[in-house]
Amino acid sequence: MGELRYTEDHEWVRIEDDGIAVVGITDYAQEQLGEIVFVELPEVGDEIERGAEAAVIESVKAASELFAPVSGTVAAVNDALNDEPALVNEDPAGEGWFLRIDTGGDGSLDGLMTEDEYLRYVEDLG
Amino acid sequence: MTEPGPPPGGRLRGTPLHDWHRANGGRMVEFAGWEMPVQYRSGIVAEHLATRRDAGLFDVSHMGRFRLRGPGSEAALRRVLTNDAATLAAGSAHYTFLANDRGGAVDDAYLYRFGADDFLLVVNASNRARGFEWIEERLEGGVRLTDESEALAMIALQGPGSERKLESVVPAGSLPEARRNRHATVRFEGGDLVVARTGYTGERVCFEIFAGAERIESLWTRLAAAGAAPVGLGARDSLRLQAGLPLYGHELGTDPEGMEIPIFANGLARFGVRRPGGGSEFVGRAALERQREALARLARGDAGASAVLPRVVAPIAVSGGRRPLRAGQKVLHGDVHAGYVTSGTSVPTGRDDAAGRPEMRPIGLVLIDSALRFREDDPARLRVLDARGNESDAAIVTGNL
Repeated sequence: MGELRYTEDHEWVRIEDDGIAVVGITDYAQEQLGEIVFVELPEVGDEIERGAEAAVIESVKAASELFAPVSGTVAAVNDALNDEPALVNEDPAGEGWFLRIDTGGDGSLDGLMTEDEYLRYVEDLG
Repeated sequence: MTEPGPPPGGRLRGTPLHDWHRANGGRMVEFAGWEMPVQYRSGIVAEHLATRRDAGLFDVSHMGRFRLRGPGSEAALRRVLTNDAATLAAGSAHYTFLANDRGGAVDDAYLYRFGADDFLLVVNASNRARGFEWIEERLEGGVRLTDESEALAMIALQGPGSERKLESVVPAGSLPEARRNRHATVRFEGGDLVVARTGYTGERVCFEIFAGAERIESLWTRLAAAGAAPVGLGARDSLRLQAGLPLYGHELGTDPEGMEIPIFANGLARFGVRRPGGGSEFVGRAALERQREALARLARGDAGASAVLPRVVAPIAVSGGRRPLRAGQKVLHGDVHAGYVTSGTSVPTGRDDAAGRPEMRPIGLVLIDSALRFREDDPARLRVLDARGNESDAAIVTGNL
């Protein structure tokens, strides 16, 4: 399993051994959003572009989006979030994953942050 | 929530409890020029439930507090407020509005009477400067109007366990009579507090407490130590919304189309506007009397009154879905545009789900065609559209508490 990479919008992505990218939001993001009460996921088979909206996240306070950190085809979504959106708060980097993207072998992570870089980035946000 | 920009100079204001909030896990946000906690570490849902089940503690010192003293005070307040200050006894408080000539709200407010010539008016944080000017411009003689918002701090303690907690920090038997809107001066640590049985959560046992800014942190920390849960602006909003209470900028003021909302579009207007027949004149009187009459006609099924009150506020609940409602979303009845969501969120039902988490449901307040609001044959089935074109089924309900 590859290591996690991070976006400035607080998504994480991990390229699995089979080349599929797993995507979720970071612990910082779930903390900022507060209690998540609804998640809208894309359909399996949807084509998504890096940087485009891939999912909608609604907390008690507000709506926000998950932006795709890589381009490709949606290979799977975490249906458990439909009934238990709180999994994103409880385990954002595990059970609270959002979707798997088949990058067609072009899973470039250029420009994404390493964990150390991301932690420094979050620290600078205050 | 109404969020005008920060005050001139760009610096946000902080209440006397600002440092306490920061040191105790408050997540600070900008609100109406103030830096205030939206929540603490426990989160909005836990804070909401703590208030419903035991006691929530709220810093509301960002609200505006004006004192009116002098022999002309009562007469001045009778002219500028919609409720009748002459009917207010010392030791009582009532809901009221600052209305304009069209019967729209400049603000909604709470008026507390301390004596024959001594009143305190609490207004929304976002309207503090405007409200002060509005009153000042309409004063005649014999009134001293002062802005006490800095010198006098204000907190709220709300929920079924709040009385016991408050009793543990003040002298026995000193709380005001157990009736809504009563208030009393209470000793605390060698000084005086004003304790009022008022609130903005829908809780029957409720207190708002005024104390000198230098004394408020001690009172706050002692109430927190007695078990009252600090609650931020997030749950303050979800609690009032569940109780169906209006918020200026949402259910009062202007609607999403920029049209002024008549005060009587809100059911609470019945308690905040004096009945016709009294002798005294006040700003907005003619328009408000037309609105009151129109509301009564609508309630009798006379749709002809909808010219005066085209849309009114009503609580709705979503059937089935989990997507929270949000202010600004369009409401349809069939395919007809019937109004807007003015406030929306998801609130805990009070039950737990299978995994032991609080179960949540989407609720809101809508500004909706008045004919729909009062039809009795068929409880109006509504469709709420969000900005992405998603649709939720909803219905008008009698309440969401």
